[in-house]
Amino acid sequence: MNKNYRILDLIRRNRSPHQNHLIDGLVDGRVSRRDFIRHGSLLGVSLPLLSRISAVAGFGGLPSLARAQGTPGATIRVACGAPTATIDPMTTTDNSGFMLLQQAGEYLCVVGPDLVLQPVLAESWNSNDIGTVWTFKLRKGVKFHSGGEMKADDVVSSIDRLADPASSSNALSVFKGILQKGATRKVDDYTVEFHLDAPNGNFPYMMSSDNYNAIIIPASYKGDYEKSFDGTGPFRIEKYTAKVGASFVRNENYWGLKALPQRTEFTFFNDEQSQILALQGGQVDMMLFVSPLAGIGLLNDPNFNIISAKTSGHNQFHMRCDSDPFKDPRVRRAIALCLDRDKLVAGLLKGRASLGNDSPFAPIFPSTDASVPQRKQDIALAKQLMEAAGAGNGFKVTLTTERYLEIPEYAQLIQNWVKEISIDLDLSLLDQGSYYGDGTFGKSNWLDSVVGITDYAHRGVPNVLLGAPLKSDGTWNAAHFKNKDYDALVSSYIAALDLEAQKATAGKIQNLLLEETPVIFGYFTDLLVPTAKGVTGVQPTPMGQLFLDKASKA
Amino acid sequence: MVFLGGQVLPGNVGRAILGPFADQGAVDTLNHTLGVDRPLLTQYWSWISNFVQGDMGTSYIYRSPVAPLVVDALGNSVKLAFVAFVLVIPIGILGGAVAALNLNRPLDRIITLGGLSMTVLPEFVTGIILILIFGVWLRWLPISAAWPHDAGFFRQLYHLILPSMPLFLVLFGYVGRMARSGMIEALDSDYTRTAVLKGLPWRTVIWRHVLRNALLPTITVIATQTGYLIGGLVVIETLFRYQGVGSLIFTAARGKDFPILVSGTLVVGIVYAVATLAADFLYSMLNPRISLGNEQ
Repeated sequence: MNKNYRILDLIRRNRSPHQNHLIDGLVDGRVSRRDFIRHGSLLGVSLPLLSRISAVAGFGGLPSLARAQGTPGATIRVACGAPTATIDPMTTTDNSGFMLLQQAGEYLCVVGPDLVLQPVLAESWNSNDIGTVWTFKLRKGVKFHSGGEMKADDVVSSIDRLADPASSSNALSVFKGILQKGATRKVDDYTVEFHLDAPNGNFPYMMSSDNYNAIIIPASYKGDYEKSFDGTGPFRIEKYTAKVGASFVRNENYWGLKALPQRTEFTFFNDEQSQILALQGGQVDMMLFVSPLAGIGLLNDPNFNIISAKTSGHNQFHMRCDSDPFKDPRVRRAIALCLDRDKLVAGLLKGRASLGNDSPFAPIFPSTDASVPQRKQDIALAKQLMEAAGAGNGFKVTLTTERYLEIPEYAQLIQNWVKEISIDLDLSLLDQGSYYGDGTFGKSNWLDSVVGITDYAHRGVPNVLLGAPLKSDGTWNAAHFKNKDYDALVSSYIAALDLEAQKATAGKIQNLLLEETPVIFGYFTDLLVPTAKGVTGVQPTPMGQLFLDKASKA
Repeated sequence: MVFLGGQVLPGNVGRAILGPFADQGAVDTLNHTLGVDRPLLTQYWSWISNFVQGDMGTSYIYRSPVAPLVVDALGNSVKLAFVAFVLVIPIGILGGAVAALNLNRPLDRIITLGGLSMTVLPEFVTGIILILIFGVWLRWLPISAAWPHDAGFFRQLYHLILPSMPLFLVLFGYVGRMARSGMIEALDSDYTRTAVLKGLPWRTVIWRHVLRNALLPTITVIATQTGYLIGGLVVIETLFRYQGVGSLIFTAARGKDFPILVSGTLVVGIVYAVATLAADFLYSMLNPRISLGNEQ
């Protein structure tokens, strides 16, 4: 297709150097259209402009984001797990809890399909040249449910509260080393600056639905969120009953397009099976999500639709690099070579997952270097590596893990595969409380076990997954992996603003992790949201939030 | 004991609330805010001194007073237990009586074998089967026992039918068997023979002499099941998402929410004691030979 260089030049005039470099990448063919859209949204280029650039560069525009043509006025009934604790923007950490937060509250931006960032309470954002200061322009005329207008003071107080080291904020693990209390500054009523501790090319994701605690609430908020559920979203709270459920009604004063449903109802269940039965019995219209194993009856039932989204959620199989029998990287590689990942995805995950390649770089990340060869099952090579490492006769070791979703079955599959190289894996399956323990070294089966499997939720960017579980000083480094080259590469990756620089560093990290293999990443799960036939317009995020403002029922 | 037992559970309160991936500083701050970083004896003294003054404390998980949570859950448990009892006591006693009156005949075998078979099936098996039949296939009954907040008496009853059915199936065997053996014993007794020989109508013999005496061991069984029905229905309450005391205590144990755990356990203990006492009173009423406080 033809490129219109005259219009491209006009567009370039008001762009930052990083934005122009990305446009160059698209025009030259170094960056795919998909990666261009995803990374462009991160750099603060609006979706209409990204679409325009793509069109004039000869790749076609984005599909029109037309409003769903559903029937208005429905009540959408959702089954979900019971929140594990009180709903509080500061401390909420479980799927149901942050999904409820997001029904009434909104973020500066949200992560949409394909990890494209979409503006919500922020209209646009950009950074300085080195990525240490990010400036967000706020939307005007946005009202809280309690009446006041959302302004910069509210954003500053919301984010400062989460970044306060003297608080019990769940978001501290996201902001640590990146954003401190007091570093969020009001420029004017509709402009906020974030002054970061170090350059960060993916910072807007931390202000998005990816950092699920970061909803914007009034500066006057004093606590007890369950009483008000104050926010700016398309629904306002009707009733919340702990352990039972919640209902929301349409916010008639919403700043954007009014929600289609008149009402939404969330019913809390203690287990997944009860949710499935409620959906099959017609007592709810949809579930927040279902796992492939438990939901196998729904996956093939024509009475239900499955909304599917690729995510970076996964289970990490860690091996202690600082003690025998996994001190030698050849032994770790040998174990990784025993896994038949194709069968794993097709069988255990019913095809609802992507292959993992033993690094946090999931296929959905635009920075993932797809040219790095995929690790495949190779028992002969695994045996050679065991011999070379002096472990040809195998050994016996205990795999400690949690009873959660498909992890016990995953552990059993690995147990069978490694028998091929004479490794006898004893399984120790614990409940989640026992497995995670205090969550600190010396007081946690997760962090102290010789070998274990741990579930990790989706992240919109790999930064957290590259740091805490794998860096030498990582607080979740169950593999006790210490490698200076790796640490330096991760710092370089995080600082990079440019997609091509990120991708080049990602390739080096991926190769280093394949060589060292402190952790096996067997697969990345898909998010599966089952709905009854006739329910349309439901929009889940890969993180697990649920946007129901365009939902309707036939 | 519950308080001390809870301390040996792995993990800590702040970590349970904030999750395994929360910053340790945030966990420490939350533990300090909740007061769970104080010495164990201080925590226990604080809890017990408030409890004796009627203050059950504040839930760590829900950040709200414990008393309303426990009272609501207890009310729900009593409702479910009541419906289960209303179903199982008359039908169980009737089944036992019919079996005894048809001793060693096919009807006796059917009732006895059927009752025992149901008793040995765990509630989660019968519960799932009943949900599939009545909730998913026929769609006659709601699979969730939790009724809407504005539900009246009949609506609540409608929601309680399905969860009370597995309880009925479990208890029918116990109650029926006790009623049957009591009936057989009473039918075989001298006073029954005397009543028959002096010419009383058969119906009067059964009602006045046989059933009244046959019910005594049955009452003991029913009384011992009261505590289980009110405080021990974790599986049924989880399966049917019912907010009873059992699930409240279970959730509290998982989240290390000691104020709820200890208060809930204490309340269930009180229910057991009251049910046993009530059974003793009833026993003495039905059998005048047993008189409370009379050692003769």
